[in-house]
Amino acid sequence: MALPPIPAPVSADLRRRRGADLKGQLFQALLWLSLGIAVAMVGAVLWSVSADGWSLISERLWSFLRNPSSATPDNAGVVQGIRGSFILAGIVAATFPLGIGAAVYLEELADDGRLTRLIRVTVRNLAGVPSIVYGLLGLAVFVKSLGGLTGGSSIISAGLTLGVLVFPVVVITASEAIRAVPQSIRDASYGLGATQWETICHQVIPAALPGILTGIVLSISRALGEAAPLLVIGAAPFYSTGFNDFFEQLQGAFTALPMNVASFARLPADTWAGHAAAASLVLLVVIFAINLVAMVIRSRITKKLGR
Amino acid sequence: MHGGVLGHNIATLDGSPASSPTITIRQLLRFGALYAVPFLALDANVVLALLIASLVGVYLKFAPDCRAPWDHLAGTRVISGFPSNAKLELADVHTAADLRLDTKRLGDERRARRLLLGVGLFSVLASGLIVWVIFREAAEFVLADEFSWSVLTGIGWFPRRGIFDLSTLFIGTLWITGIAMTVAGPVGLGVAIYLSEYASPRVRRYLKPLVETLASIPSVVIGLFAISFISPKVLQPIFGDLGIFSLLAAGLGVGVLTVPIVASISEDAMRAVPQELREASYGLGSRKVTTALRVVFPAALSGISAAFIVGISRAIGETMVVFIAAGGSGGAIFETDPTQPGQAITAAMASLGAGTDSVAGSGIAFQSLYFLGALLFVITLVMNVVSDRIVGRFRQVY
Repeated sequence: MALPPIPAPVSADLRRRRGADLKGQLFQALLWLSLGIAVAMVGAVLWSVSADGWSLISERLWSFLRNPSSATPDNAGVVQGIRGSFILAGIVAATFPLGIGAAVYLEELADDGRLTRLIRVTVRNLAGVPSIVYGLLGLAVFVKSLGGLTGGSSIISAGLTLGVLVFPVVVITASEAIRAVPQSIRDASYGLGATQWETICHQVIPAALPGILTGIVLSISRALGEAAPLLVIGAAPFYSTGFNDFFEQLQGAFTALPMNVASFARLPADTWAGHAAAASLVLLVVIFAINLVAMVIRSRITKKLGR
Repeated sequence: MHGGVLGHNIATLDGSPASSPTITIRQLLRFGALYAVPFLALDANVVLALLIASLVGVYLKFAPDCRAPWDHLAGTRVISGFPSNAKLELADVHTAADLRLDTKRLGDERRARRLLLGVGLFSVLASGLIVWVIFREAAEFVLADEFSWSVLTGIGWFPRRGIFDLSTLFIGTLWITGIAMTVAGPVGLGVAIYLSEYASPRVRRYLKPLVETLASIPSVVIGLFAISFISPKVLQPIFGDLGIFSLLAAGLGVGVLTVPIVASISEDAMRAVPQELREASYGLGSRKVTTALRVVFPAALSGISAAFIVGISRAIGETMVVFIAAGGSGGAIFETDPTQPGQAITAAMASLGAGTDSVAGSGIAFQSLYFLGALLFVITLVMNVVSDRIVGRFRQVY
């Protein structure tokens, strides 16, 4: 049976008349506008912070990085914040095995029972809890209840609180990385007589490691930017005690870079605005550097896997 | 030991063998009820340590046997209590499964399994602790002598003077969330549609990280941006007599933070729409705009609404921007005008937390921190559960 002749305007013809597509062009202009606004936001934030902080940075970058905070604007610096943020990153990093272990359990070992579902649901809900609520948890548990061990409002309490805060993030990213490991690798390992644990240790985790590392690095950068929980736990704007040794420092007063930014920002703007912006710049440089590490790791994996 | 006794109870009460592979919700509830009593009676410090120890202990006891996929197929079963003095004759080893009867390796296997299960339960423990701690302290606020329901209304939020007018904070949070979503909703959605439907892979590769940069900027920096840029350079030219600190500036700042959240979740939802739908639409002669708005958008609608809910819940929970830019440190008068300074739930908590030492002595002011925390927790939890439900439904479609 012969097909009927194709009517004149086929779909391609219809779509070729660009000039007539006024609605489409309007819509695309709107999309461009919203994209432009988003990019302008990034630009404005970076520009405003750099412009405000530049005079101070160009004038005395070194003393700004080396001095503790002070009541006189000409001497104030962020060294206590930098030190605090580094120690916090270390403590948060020490809590990562917990998150990775939970991810391994959920992806490799757990059956589809109620307990597993309970764990999954709580992880997802924990990820949505506002950071300041974690501050309350830290205040009640690490500062008050376990105050004998942590020294009260100390950097250990703050670090452990941030560790709980990034736990769901670590679990979710590590789970995704583990799920991406091909099943054939596991099957091959089982076929050679390896137990499940040996398979996880020697095959699955190494294969998922780059993805896990990316998640870890991004969680560290998130933890370093958090100020709200530290505020509740009792981070000081600055402190004046000298510490004799490292362990004393872990249990004493503390601050961190975002706390420096927040406390500078709440001082009178005419003399302190430059300090807040300069401290923000230091914080942004640290965080972007960490994110860059994550990006390098990610691009290495994709290259290695030939994707 | 607590853990041992309790574990034994659970096993015998249910009549299930000690090697029951999972713990049911019922058992978990019974466990919680048993522990609520000493929690109330004893110092939380001691009970906390006991709770952690026995939680791990109980679940170690019930950790399931180690089984590999082929065990189910072949019907072989790894014996959990394989005696350590058993001799393995070489002739017994026939298959890979037999090799695994090596006691040392089996022991490792069991220990690892238990350890990881314990670690997985950490999330349950953390959630339980958050709920327990916050609601216990919030109850202390409500049950305190100074408390009466009348302190929750008044001229404003002045915790140090015993005036806890919640409507002041709710108005502030509502304005900030509303303003933030007015910015982040359309912008985030536009970015998502562009990246998912219009951008070439090449353009997308450069634009997406740029938008994600916004997500990695800490909220303190955005707070500073709100008072050093948004207020003086954007709002004051428009409104004239606007102060540096206002709910409007804080809301716009939170909007900047919410854009990448709305954009990335909506984009994921739209990219999850099967390519066939788009091709079918093009095949019928639809223009790109028709395909995007009439085919892809409705198909991704549940994911997009989840993105909006998550965005709203983040905006409600955002603290530092409001703390720095809304200007409500210490207290705030009830104010419905967004061009005036105000206070939101989170920022009020931050102010209380920042002034912990000076507040600690003054009655119930400090406890109000937990009362607000409980409110915030419930609000965001409800929103997360709703968005979870929506996403769950959306996944079932394809």
